[in-house]
Order: sequence, then C-alpha cells, then structure tokens
Amino acid sequence: MTAPGDELPAYEVEPVSAEKMKTMSALMRDANPIHFDPAAVRALGLGDRVVNQGPLNQAYIVSMLARWAGGAARVRALRLRFLGNVFAGDGLVAGGTVTAVRQDGAGRVADCDVWLRVSGGDPVLSGTATVLIGE
Amino acid sequence: MTAVPTEEELGKLVGTPFPGGTFTFEPWWVRLVNDCALAPASDGAASPVFAFLAATAAMGWSWEEMWGLFGATEADGPMAGETATEIREPLRVGATYGVSGRIVSAVRKRGARTGVFDLVCYRLDLQDEHGSLAASCTNSIIFPRRSL
Repeated sequence: MTAPGDELPAYEVEPVSAEKMKTMSALMRDANPIHFDPAAVRALGLGDRVVNQGPLNQAYIVSMLARWAGGAARVRALRLRFLGNVFAGDGLVAGGTVTAVRQDGAGRVADCDVWLRVSGGDPVLSGTATVLIGE
Repeated sequence: MTAVPTEEELGKLVGTPFPGGTFTFEPWWVRLVNDCALAPASDGAASPVFAFLAATAAMGWSWEEMWGLFGATEADGPMAGETATEIREPLRVGATYGVSGRIVSAVRKRGARTGVFDLVCYRLDLQDEHGSLAASCTNSIIFPRRSL
C-alpha cells in the first residue's frame, strides 16, 4: 500500500542525445539554436554541448512516474521549476517521494515530490506531481 | 513593442489573450516525440508534456512574437521559470483540441544576484471537441532586463 514517505523507484536516463534534440527542435518548430548548434551555445558561454529541450527533461520525470504508477495517463498534474540546463551527453536520474495519499474525484491519488538531476550533479528540475494509483 | 516596457506598460499586458488555434495529435508526430523523450510509444499522447507542446504550438504566436510582446528577443535570453500542467482527461492520439489562453501576471523584480528581471506568467487551455476543458498549463518566463 502506497504511503507518505515511500521513495519512488529512480529512473536512470541514458545519456542525452544531440540527434534527438535536433528532431525535437523540428517537431516543436523551435528555432532556438542552442538545441542544435554548438557554436550558439559557445557564444553564450555555456560550453560546447547543445542544450536539451525543457519538455524532454520534463518527460523523463513523467517516465519515472509512469514506470511506478502504470502508465503516463496516470500522471494527472505536474508542477516543475527549471533549475539548470541539461547538455548533450549528460546522464540523468529522476526520482521522487510520496508526500500524501488521498481520494479525489478521479480516484485514489498520490501527491509526490519529484526531481531530475544530472548523474552525480545538481538538480535541474524539481517540483510536485499528482498520480492516480490503482489501490 | 520593441522597447523594454515600463512597469506600468508591463502591468497593462496582463489579460492579453493569445490568438489561439487548434492542435491535432497526429500519430507520426506523437510517435516521434515519444521517441525523442525515450518514452514508450504505448504512452500515446497521455503524458502531461503533450499538453504543453500542443498548447504552445497552437497558441497563435511564435516564441519570437511572444518575446516581442514583452519587448525582448531570443538574444535577450528569456528563460523558463516554472511549468504546471493539469490533465482533466487524457489527451488522445488523433483528436483535435482547441487552444486558448491569456497572460495572467507580469511583474518586475529585482534580485541581489540576478539584477532586474520581469516574471511573466501565462495560461493555456486545451478544449476537446465538445468544448470541455481537457488540460491546462500555466507557465512562467523570466525576461532578464540587463539595460535597467
């Protein structure tokens, strides 16, 4: 039975791919070159590696929750603060903790604190999520 | 607007509606987004991330047009602050949603380390084919104001 204080199983994300960022730029029609042109990143003094899109970083947290709860459709609310950049080649870990279990109109839900951090580094996203749990 | 707005002008932008539009979750697009996100194709468009992607794709402005409303360009380095998404009903592959929204707050702040910046918050809603609210996302953008 899910209870406050439960740790969510961590999800280790494979190193972030610059090629997937290029595809994502096209899918989002996002012209910002920091996602596909290392020269643009250098010009901003951010190093030599392109910067991952924020929605992809959010998606890794959703995947962590989906693996635990039984699918992305169970994630009903997500509130995240952007704390830093993720660069091509970074490995990431997503995780979280259950803070409350309650009943709402959709059923039994768990409120969670969630985070995404660069492996061995600082958090790049943190926030909260509400997830339907089938109990 | 191209110049940095005064605080008074900034406040008057609150309530500005987005032109809005519609967004259809085409199967090929959803599949490629899930591939980029390392998410299983079986998730379809259910992830809350799809609400943000659809809402911002069909808000009726490009990002540059959005920056321009606040007297900024991409070169000024606008940054995402927070994002909050609520799903009322799982978004469906193949379905078309109406998108509407408005600027909900815009304030000038001064930080000891960050200097002057404007914090702008906007909300976008997705309505299903019956006009019911399917999802909403509220996001904030930080506009650095290095010239102030």
